[in-house]
Amino acid sequence: MRRLSIRALAAPGILAAIIVLAAIAAPLLPLTDPVRQDVANRLTGPSFTHWLGQDEYGRDVLSRIVWGARVSLSVAFAAAAMAAAGGTLLGILGGYFRGVVELVTVRVAEVVLCFPPLLLALLVVTLMGPGAGTLVFSLAILFAPGFARVAYAETLSARSLDYVTAQEALGARTRRILARTLLPNIAPPLLVQFSLTVASAMVLESGLSFLGLGVVPPSPSWGLMIRGARASMEQAPLLLFWPCLALTGTVLVLNLLCDRLRDLLDPRGKAAGRPGFLRRLVALPAAPVGALPAAPGLLTVEGLTLEIPSRAGQVQVVRDVGFSLAPGETLAIVGESGSGKTLTGLAVMGLLPSAVKPVAGRILFTGRDGQVRDLLRMPETDMRALRGRDLAMIFQDPSSSLNPLLRIGAQVGESLRAHGVTQGVKARVVALLRQVGLPDPERAADAYPHEVSGGQRQRVMIAAAIANHPRLLLADEPTTALDVTVQAQILGLLAELRRAEGAMGMVFVTHNLAVVSDIADRVLVMYAGEVVEEAPVTDIFAAPRHPYTAALIASMPEGEAERLSAIPGAVPQPWAMPTGCRFAPRCVMAAEACRTAAPALVEIASGRHSRCLRWEEMA
Amino acid sequence: MSAAPGPLVRGEGLTRAFHRRGGLFHRGAPVMALRGVDIAVNRGEAVGVVGESGCGKSTLGRVLLRLMPPTGGRVLFDGEDLAQQPAAHLRALRRRMQMVFQDPFGSLDPRRTVGAQIADGMQIHGLAHGSGARDAVAALLKQVGLDPDHARRLPHEFSGGQRQRIAVARALSTRPDFIVADEPVSALDVSIQAQVVNLLADLRAELGLALLFISHDLHVVRHLCDRVVVMYLGRVMEEGPARDIFRAPAHPYTRALLAATPSLRHRGTAGAPLAGEVPSIANPPSGCVFRTRCTMAQPACAEAVPPIEPMPGAADRRIACLRAAELSP
Repeated sequence: MRRLSIRALAAPGILAAIIVLAAIAAPLLPLTDPVRQDVANRLTGPSFTHWLGQDEYGRDVLSRIVWGARVSLSVAFAAAAMAAAGGTLLGILGGYFRGVVELVTVRVAEVVLCFPPLLLALLVVTLMGPGAGTLVFSLAILFAPGFARVAYAETLSARSLDYVTAQEALGARTRRILARTLLPNIAPPLLVQFSLTVASAMVLESGLSFLGLGVVPPSPSWGLMIRGARASMEQAPLLLFWPCLALTGTVLVLNLLCDRLRDLLDPRGKAAGRPGFLRRLVALPAAPVGALPAAPGLLTVEGLTLEIPSRAGQVQVVRDVGFSLAPGETLAIVGESGSGKTLTGLAVMGLLPSAVKPVAGRILFTGRDGQVRDLLRMPETDMRALRGRDLAMIFQDPSSSLNPLLRIGAQVGESLRAHGVTQGVKARVVALLRQVGLPDPERAADAYPHEVSGGQRQRVMIAAAIANHPRLLLADEPTTALDVTVQAQILGLLAELRRAEGAMGMVFVTHNLAVVSDIADRVLVMYAGEVVEEAPVTDIFAAPRHPYTAALIASMPEGEAERLSAIPGAVPQPWAMPTGCRFAPRCVMAAEACRTAAPALVEIASGRHSRCLRWEEMA
Repeated sequence: MSAAPGPLVRGEGLTRAFHRRGGLFHRGAPVMALRGVDIAVNRGEAVGVVGESGCGKSTLGRVLLRLMPPTGGRVLFDGEDLAQQPAAHLRALRRRMQMVFQDPFGSLDPRRTVGAQIADGMQIHGLAHGSGARDAVAALLKQVGLDPDHARRLPHEFSGGQRQRIAVARALSTRPDFIVADEPVSALDVSIQAQVVNLLADLRAELGLALLFISHDLHVVRHLCDRVVVMYLGRVMEEGPARDIFRAPAHPYTRALLAATPSLRHRGTAGAPLAGEVPSIANPPSGCVFRTRCTMAQPACAEAVPPIEPMPGAADRRIACLRAAELSP
């Protein structure tokens, strides 16, 4: 990603460098004197001695363009630099100290923004007389508020960040915090602002020179050249063309440069991916020939393998994951970050981010019509008909998964209307809200999401999910963002739903083993993209048969032991997976054989699987 | 190092109000994040502060370090009132009190090397310069279980757990007596959480640090802390030795909190979960702030704020409940 944007920077960067170098090297280039007149040859067209022709006084146009660039660029850069220094200082001070300081710095700077820029420049020039010095000064005043605003906004968001507070906690002086911590971190947008300012300063400089208020003739300047060429526009139209081309070209190059610069400096990179309906199922081989399993149950995932692009090429983030779910059953998928648990869930819902590509496996789902479909290979339109009806999902963060601008009732009703319910939507919504335990459901239906608490928002999400009596409910960390007392309530609600919706299967994705102990029938433990153990919930806690499960249980801060037993090291990155067992580097039981060959997932008892060579020793 | 008698850090009657932005001429009603909190941390002692979101535990940590001035009450550090200290002396005092933040991704400057950030504190307080600082950084990295060569890397090259170790190293760089750790492990994976908790426990034993450990996870607090303070809506509900509080929680809120915490060992024993949610801190209930969710609430609970008093029959515990006498262990 980063290397790509550096390459994108090359073209405008080289062009800008040529322009700047030509301007700097003007005295060294074999150019005619830009102010030497040759009235005899006025307005002659391009020739070998004068490549771009001669102007109304017979001066060489090419030479005047290059020397004019010198004036335009130096005025623009000087003005932008002054504006940047002054404006940034005001913005940082205002943003860091707030209060009165904010009033006298940022707010005063904003007053300047209220004047039309050209009028303000005219005022300053009239007061101080024309000339390059005046120009720089007036442009600097004009552009400083822009910098002040950017610096102010960035400082406001940065000053509450922990690493700024940490400096304060270390006892650093304010000056040190501003210069060493804040300034470098707000620099990227200021840099972009700087290149934009240079471009607009050039345009304004030309405009003022054109009006006779900028550079004093006979010094060459693009604005002056346009002004001179205007008089003889009909005899020699090219004379107007050259300075205009120089001006537009330079501004375009600078704008392009700052666009690319912004992409490079923004750590988030460009907006990734295309919307779902444009996504194509590339590189996914046809389904394995093997017939459908004898009893496909509600959901059967087989050999699911997902890849993402990385610096080391395509890497597998989910490898050969398989499990099955019967109607009415609850399966918990447990794993730490990087285990692939969430991607597995999203693959079932057909909601994988566009960077993630399924490369193998199938996801067999029995719809309410009794037909078995492979969700991995289903077109997006068919998938959409299933989603929200047969398949439903609850997300982790209830505050970001509800639309803040729509009333709660409308959002729950939407899931009904999207699947063809038109009659009695309102009453059904209220009944659903009552079912999920919202107090005063009639009022709640008319409320906006921000008017109810986080736990209640999650109840609303659950109401929307169960609106059409889904066959499969996927809950992705549904209680992680909630307080423990509220978490207990939501877990209770989900358990109640299981009883009410008897045929509904549930997949509960979580990182917290303790949470699943009450709600799941079976547990699937994932590590580094693989299933490492699968067992009924009672067995997995009482007698884990994979060292990772055992270590995870032991590291939970419970019990009376003085010291927690930590798992050393960290989950390996997808592009640096160990060759043998992926858990071997952190495993207390790892033997030589574990480091050479990747163990297979073996059935160790009916309904129990383990991906460990030495599982028998754990018995 | 002066050693005034009494606790190392003492907060007396701390209140902290936040003003919501109102219109141009009127300020919004203040939101009280802390309402008269008394707290003491002795030298070398680990005190846990637990409670749900909005209980004021993070505000308490920042007020004790004077990263935020209290609206009322005072903070004494080693006998000195922090509000009375001139700026230069306060900065000097900051050497002795440090902080570890929750989010290991937000607490390190993304643009400066890890070594430079750990060395900051030593430079600010003139503890070490040049090669001396480099050696000290290497020693600190080693102490928190990282490779000393990592000093030249940038934060984004580390995992969450490693970053939290770096943040701990930075806090240790000024050789503090007191560290506030604000949810230092809640952003970490379970297997990594234990590593950092053990690291903090080791460092405390090794360096004799006093620790204020803020967490919503009761289990972690039990492992690390000598004493626990349970907070709800800006007030202290219960306080006492960690061992006793976990074995026999007295305050109805502490009991509910413990019962709601998911556990591998006590499956399905919790009983009915606490009803409702934490009320808005902008509009807390009258009297006892917990009464709206309390199973033991009586009409009297709405009238007066129960003072926090020593618990009948347990002198080292304090509790704020009108019915404390019925709650004794």
